[in-house]
Amino acid sequence: MISVRNINKSFDGRQVLFDVNLDIQEGHTQAIIGRSGSGKSVLMKHIIGLMQPDSGHITVDGIDINIIPYAELRKVRRNFGVLFQGGALFDSMDAFENVAFPLRTFTSKSESEVRAEVMECLGMVELPDVGKKMPSELSGGMQKRVALARAVALKPRYILYDEPTSGLDPETSNTIDELIKSLADQLNVTSIVVTHDMHSVLNIADRAAFIHEGRMHWTGTIEDLHASDDKVLRRFVKANEYQIGV
Amino acid sequence: MKISNELKVGLTIIGATVIFILGVRYFEDLPLFATTYELKAEFEDAGGLIPGNLVRVSGVSVGSVNSVVISQETGKVEIGFHVDRNIIVTEGSYAIVTGIDALGAVRLDLFLGSPSAPQIPEGGLVDPGKGSDLLGDLSASAPEMFDKVSGVLDGLDSVLAEAGTMLSQPESDLRRTMSSMESAVAELDALLASERGRVDSIMSNVESVTGSLDSAMGKDGEKVSQVMNHLGTTLTTLDAELARLSSVSDNLNVLLQKLNEGQGTLGLLINDPTMYHKMDSTLDSINSLLADFESDPAKYLGEMKLVDLF
Amino acid sequence: MILNPIRALGKYSQLLYHAFGALPEFGTYRVNLWQQMMRIGIDSLPIVMLAAAFSGAVTTVQTAYQLVSPLIPRSIIGSIVVPSMILELGAVVTGFILAGRVGARIAAELGTMRVTEQIDALEAMGLNSIGYLIVPRVLAGIVMFPVLYVAASFVGIGGGMLVGHFGGFVPIGEFLEGAREFFQPFDPVFGLIKSLVFGFTITSISCFKGYNTSGGAEGVGRSTTQAAVASCVFLLLADLVLAATLL
Repeated sequence: MISVRNINKSFDGRQVLFDVNLDIQEGHTQAIIGRSGSGKSVLMKHIIGLMQPDSGHITVDGIDINIIPYAELRKVRRNFGVLFQGGALFDSMDAFENVAFPLRTFTSKSESEVRAEVMECLGMVELPDVGKKMPSELSGGMQKRVALARAVALKPRYILYDEPTSGLDPETSNTIDELIKSLADQLNVTSIVVTHDMHSVLNIADRAAFIHEGRMHWTGTIEDLHASDDKVLRRFVKANEYQIGV
Repeated sequence: MKISNELKVGLTIIGATVIFILGVRYFEDLPLFATTYELKAEFEDAGGLIPGNLVRVSGVSVGSVNSVVISQETGKVEIGFHVDRNIIVTEGSYAIVTGIDALGAVRLDLFLGSPSAPQIPEGGLVDPGKGSDLLGDLSASAPEMFDKVSGVLDGLDSVLAEAGTMLSQPESDLRRTMSSMESAVAELDALLASERGRVDSIMSNVESVTGSLDSAMGKDGEKVSQVMNHLGTTLTTLDAELARLSSVSDNLNVLLQKLNEGQGTLGLLINDPTMYHKMDSTLDSINSLLADFESDPAKYLGEMKLVDLF
Repeated sequence: MILNPIRALGKYSQLLYHAFGALPEFGTYRVNLWQQMMRIGIDSLPIVMLAAAFSGAVTTVQTAYQLVSPLIPRSIIGSIVVPSMILELGAVVTGFILAGRVGARIAAELGTMRVTEQIDALEAMGLNSIGYLIVPRVLAGIVMFPVLYVAASFVGIGGGMLVGHFGGFVPIGEFLEGAREFFQPFDPVFGLIKSLVFGFTITSISCFKGYNTSGGAEGVGRSTTQAAVASCVFLLLADLVLAATLL
């Protein structure tokens, strides 16, 4: 259970988040949608403590991550797996090493155990034989899948996805969506998907939160989203449908 | 076998440490592996010695100076230095600071004592030597020498200054002396001009001798030795002639002296106006005689021809 | 405007504070430390030694050129070249080369990791990114710079000596005699201190610049340039401060 309470954030005097509230229920897949620059990625970084709010609090499983010391925050973060927009694979390591990295750093597993788990994770993202390749040798979609394998390696309770389908062709986008869905089912994790891709939201999410110009404009289930007559939300959804239609 | 990063880094660090330690020991004039032996010496004057300067035995570097400090108690300069442990510094050894301070090349020369004498213990005191090398001495005594030269120059200066003031006063003795000397020299000049005739005749004698020598050589070579004998006597005569010239000069000197003192006829001549007038009239008559001679030389030359024929 | 440098100094000190706070977590950066020692230290050896050899040689030739008086012994060349190498050139030549080579590399590496969110990824995993990325680089700088300094001084003196000998300026024996005559035991100690400070200065400034990169590929380029320039400037400043305080 993650709850975001009255978050305000500004950069260099320009406010990007205004009094944002959000509750993310255990076991759900929560989509955070909005136009580019609406502040949804900033909100996501607040959730894992990569950014500190100017005011407001974020609690993860009842722990206020804004007041605990850094060492404690790092423990809380180990409950999270994060898939960054560009994958953020360590480019000094090959795909196998990337996935093995959290296992080696945070567990005392033997080398053979690590190997077995890495292969399992790579199998889960349907890339069992890219282990020896460097990130630069992989396509954008493959990089994201390896990054996903790395994000789930420690069996996190929460997985955060930052624009998982942006910059990918529709077919690869579908593959990623399927992966997110199957991971949610298999590992029973709480997923938070930050995206502007309505197609993928309708595919994978249970709930959606719409951020407009730094404010939490609308929250509800996917069913509510279809039924909503909010003008701004409808415009956003329609613009996406138009894009998809083309 | 692939060498791991740890091993490569470790080896490099060890290598650098070894180079550093050995390098510093080398430049500190410490033997690379052997140990050294600390000694001290006390001097009145360190002569520009600084830590790091070499210590030499018979011109071989065996160590270097560690410290140069002025002792609070004795007021002397205490020099600490180290030498190679192989060098046995015995009682009776002594140390001297040598080299030229101005060039920065100062060192400590160590003169070892008798090998049979007991060794000076670690940290012991080595005697300061009395002597010093020539160049060092020279540079040490240079200031003194300079003072002396300076003194002499000062004296000369004051003498010249005195002479200057004396010369500037018209009634001073020196000035009078100078003026009489001047006139004396002028007289001497005149006398030498009159003696010139004699010198000329001597020279023509020599010429004629050479001429007869020439003719003798031309006619008969055997007579040469005889001629040479003649020449010898002639030269002797010439010598005597020159001696006479010399004595004439001497006389002239005496004459000048007397002249200066106002003695003798010439002196009177100079000092007495009546004598001058008489002289004047005499010269007038000579002048008329000469005029006569010029107008009718044959009257006189008749006698002259006789001389000519001879 | 005037507050910006002060703000930067504050951020820099904060970064160093966190870095030193992460020192006890040796486990997180152990592997990285060896890797960085390789990259900063061992991989830089050839270029540092090359530059040092040439600066030693040039110092010898120039010293010989300037000494024309027959009154001055040729061994003075050694007395000038060796302390120059040990006191100044050994550390400064190494510093300048590494400001370009290592400083730029560190800033580019960390800058790219920042803009591609790799640093965020490390943090999100629960790792101390400062401890993981910056501590090993700065430590490697502090440890390996003195090593490089020793290598540079050694090769520089050797280069000067050989050029002096084969160039006909001063035979090796006289060169070394002159060097030993005026050797001050504090000189190499000062050089070591200097190289240690340079190592810290260059790596910490480059880490700071790289770690705080923003603005994509252009930002990485900017950070890289700034890291190399700032490293050089602060290296000169540190050189002066050290000379003024320790000599």
